[in-house]
Amino acid sequence: MATAVLGLAGCGSRDTRTTVTIWHQSRPTERDFLVAEIERFEADHPGVRVRPLYKETEELRAGFQAAVLAGAGPELVYGPSDVLGTFHTMGIIQDLAPWISAEERDAFVEGAITSLPATDGSGRRAVVQIGDRFGNHLALVYNRRFVTTPPLTTDDLVRIARDNTVDGDGDGRPDRYGLVWNYTEPFFGIPFLTGFGGWVFQEPESEPPRPDLDTPAMAAALGFIRDLRERHQVTPANCDYELADSLFKTGRAAMIINGDWSWSDYLANPSIDAAVAVLPTVDATGLPMRPMVAPKGYSLNANASGDQADAAMAFVRYMTSDEVQRRLLQRLRMLPARRAAWDDPLVASDPTLAASRKQIENGRLMPVAAELRAVWDGMKPAYQAVLGGTLEPAAAAARMQRDTEGFIASMHQRVEPSPLVPVLGAGIGLALFVLLVRQWRSFVALATDLRRNPTPYAFAFPAVLVIFAVIVFPFVWNLVLSLSDMSLGRFRDWRVVGLQNYAEVLADRRLWGLSGVFLKTVLWTVINVALHVTLGVILAVALHGPVRCKAIYRLLLIIPWAVPAYITALTWRGMFDYEYGAVNLILGKWLGLPAVNWLGEPLRAFEACIITNVWLGFPFMMVIALGGLQGIPEELYEAARIDRASRWQQFWHITLPLLKPVLLPAATLGAIWTFNNLNVIWLVSNGGEPQDATHILVSYVYKSVFNLYRYGYGAALSTVMFLILLAFSMVFLQRTRATESVYR
Amino acid sequence: MREPLRITILRHAVLLAFVAISIYPVLNVVSISLRPGDRLRSTDLAIIPADWTLASYAALFTEQPFLRWLGNSLAVSAAVTVTGVALASTAGYAFSRFRFIGRRATMLAILTTQMFPATMLLLPLYVLIARLGLVDTWLGLMIFYTATALPFCVWQMKGFYDTIPASLEEAARIDGCTRGQAFWYVVLPLATPGLVITALFSFMTAWSEYIVAAQVMQREEMFTLPLGIKGFQASLSSQWGLYAAASILVSLPVVAVFLSLSRFLVNGLTVGSVKE
Repeated sequence: MATAVLGLAGCGSRDTRTTVTIWHQSRPTERDFLVAEIERFEADHPGVRVRPLYKETEELRAGFQAAVLAGAGPELVYGPSDVLGTFHTMGIIQDLAPWISAEERDAFVEGAITSLPATDGSGRRAVVQIGDRFGNHLALVYNRRFVTTPPLTTDDLVRIARDNTVDGDGDGRPDRYGLVWNYTEPFFGIPFLTGFGGWVFQEPESEPPRPDLDTPAMAAALGFIRDLRERHQVTPANCDYELADSLFKTGRAAMIINGDWSWSDYLANPSIDAAVAVLPTVDATGLPMRPMVAPKGYSLNANASGDQADAAMAFVRYMTSDEVQRRLLQRLRMLPARRAAWDDPLVASDPTLAASRKQIENGRLMPVAAELRAVWDGMKPAYQAVLGGTLEPAAAAARMQRDTEGFIASMHQRVEPSPLVPVLGAGIGLALFVLLVRQWRSFVALATDLRRNPTPYAFAFPAVLVIFAVIVFPFVWNLVLSLSDMSLGRFRDWRVVGLQNYAEVLADRRLWGLSGVFLKTVLWTVINVALHVTLGVILAVALHGPVRCKAIYRLLLIIPWAVPAYITALTWRGMFDYEYGAVNLILGKWLGLPAVNWLGEPLRAFEACIITNVWLGFPFMMVIALGGLQGIPEELYEAARIDRASRWQQFWHITLPLLKPVLLPAATLGAIWTFNNLNVIWLVSNGGEPQDATHILVSYVYKSVFNLYRYGYGAALSTVMFLILLAFSMVFLQRTRATESVYR
Repeated sequence: MREPLRITILRHAVLLAFVAISIYPVLNVVSISLRPGDRLRSTDLAIIPADWTLASYAALFTEQPFLRWLGNSLAVSAAVTVTGVALASTAGYAFSRFRFIGRRATMLAILTTQMFPATMLLLPLYVLIARLGLVDTWLGLMIFYTATALPFCVWQMKGFYDTIPASLEEAARIDGCTRGQAFWYVVLPLATPGLVITALFSFMTAWSEYIVAAQVMQREEMFTLPLGIKGFQASLSSQWGLYAAASILVSLPVVAVFLSLSRFLVNGLTVGSVKE
């Protein structure tokens, strides 16, 4: 088999063409367009092959960073401009200025080409992206079956929304809402902020930009949003993107605020009659609600050079040619980046394009600075707290500012190498040496034993080799990283700085306090594993006996394990919805209990995560316990029955002790996996919502690494988590004697 | 042997309750896969929506390279299952039956490989994959999956061997078996439930993983199922119909594997084998 595997590994195409790889985050219809254009391009350029690969937003970002760091990666990345500040600061994309002249730039609509101050401090501006279209802007979509003329002002908006919030069957729950949108993301709140005269950064924008969130405009905008829900009651109590989308698609919402990516779906949906309109003007200020607008375009990998870079840029030039731009406009109905196509008669004649163009002209360019990420993270908890009714708008605005400033500070934290680094190095070296000397005797003994008694080593070696071959390098890398200052500003040129990251981890009150992340993680782990094992054993015992339809039960019970968790976790999120979720409907209808705001309150959201994870994990333990029950000789039970032992006594004195050797490894590893389980928390609570209160350690690490780019800090925290788990396992295995056999 | 009626009723009550809890969320996934227009959420509890359609399932086979992904996934998972079972059954045996130098330390070390948060390993893992030239190779994926599945499998097999009385092997040795023969003809058959769990676990590890796969596989024709399915997800414009339909179809092979293996999971073999 080994040769077959090697054969597979070696097979590659013998293509002499220059290959250009593009990672893109295009939506399905855009992908078809891209593929068709690539075919045309390749026909014109026989020496070049273009390979597109779709990557989801976060995956593209993280994957591209890793790939460039490894000296590889796609030649081109395609996507919205919001990641450019990060990529540019990290030094993983190139300056495109050599490929595009000043006259060529003039052919583009303003904002389509993104440039940033060069990182070399020369005062030049580096071209970091060449856009081929505009988009990502929000507008108002309304269902013409309910709304004849779209609102021009917010007063109109409220009036129309009130008229359209209808409770037809009188059960106290509206069958149709006037207005819906995604509450969970502050991005969707930006038009309200701009409408009340605010903006996310201080103006004129400084370098680096400073957040400007604690303003009367922010408080007024938050107050207005809250009034929509509490005073006018025209929006649902809880509403995330998917709920808003489904409500509008099924005619249960008259208006939705959503981005250009969603419009074609709405316009094509036969059960509604959708139309797009510009967002209204705020009456209190007379200002229009202005959404953020971003160009989408191509950036060049810092590692790309020579023929590949030229071929890649030839492709970019092709995609931004007038000919392709017109096709883009006609096929995708999206606004292109070049002036010539922008003024095409189609833009004026197509009502959606006309509204889209007007909304773009009315919008504000999305800042590309990396600090925007900190703004989103800083806004989110307070924004959600206002919607959850636990924070006043003015206080929320103050908190947003404070949190964002904190995030930006930690993003830009500069750690100077400690003078003790050589001492630290010497210490580590010495420790390794002492360890080696002290263990010398064991090594000698090992060598002798290996010669005299090779069988057990031969049995164990292959598995041990495979396991460690994969883990050793990443493990050591992480240890080194945890001593380094790797971060946004020092992504490729990081240095070892000492133990500062560890000091910061250990001093973090959010981690170790009484209501801190660590205790929550322990709670999370203990509850989950205890329930997994208990339910698994109960079900296995119930199945292990004279039961009819055993096979069917067994099959149905493993289903939570068989269906991919990434979809069932999302289903559970839907089931926990306040208004429409199955859990609340069942609680209300059958048990007469009041509805629980599962995803809106921190503790409830945490419980929701636990319930989901218990559901995901019990079948696995059941299978293990079923296997373990087979090994218990029936004679033991016969003997017990002769001794008149009750069923309970049999279970307690025979079943459990004999299940122990089989359950222990599963429980130990189950605890380790649960401790480090990111997926469920991330999917069910949507990344720690509400108010960042459902985090466990691993999601906290994830957030600080992937949102704030604190690689060194994340590695240090991971190492601490590793040590916690190591200590736990050692104690647990010692006390349960899991490495020893029951019969000895 | 007949049980008292109340015990039988209790068994069925517990099982029925959990079957309901197990399948309800999955029925919701089925429901999503039947809805037109990519609606993840619904406002009622109906499992079969009024406007149901099988279009998503049809699209998977006609418009998407679903069968190609399925083939890739089956090949990788089968290879990982075979290697996983082979390596874990031998290593587990060594850890259970022999006392050798470094035994406990190695067992603990094997556990420690599971303790580092996987997300932090992403970056170095990619560097490793790229440096070793394993990008776009099946071998790379197989090594990583086997290494991920093995720690649990080794421990699990060790646990199962521990429940098999050593006297059985000794008897076989007295009858003239070599150590290897005793392992092959006596111990392994008795450890069948453990082997089944190891096989299931190895299979599932390879079958559902996508983080490492996304790093290794950069060409669409080499995608495994989870990678292909993740492609239906895009921020704020996911193709939920395809996503749900594919997820349902993905679970069918798992159910099939479980069905074919589960008879070995329940036929106790040690019954009557030893009187101590």
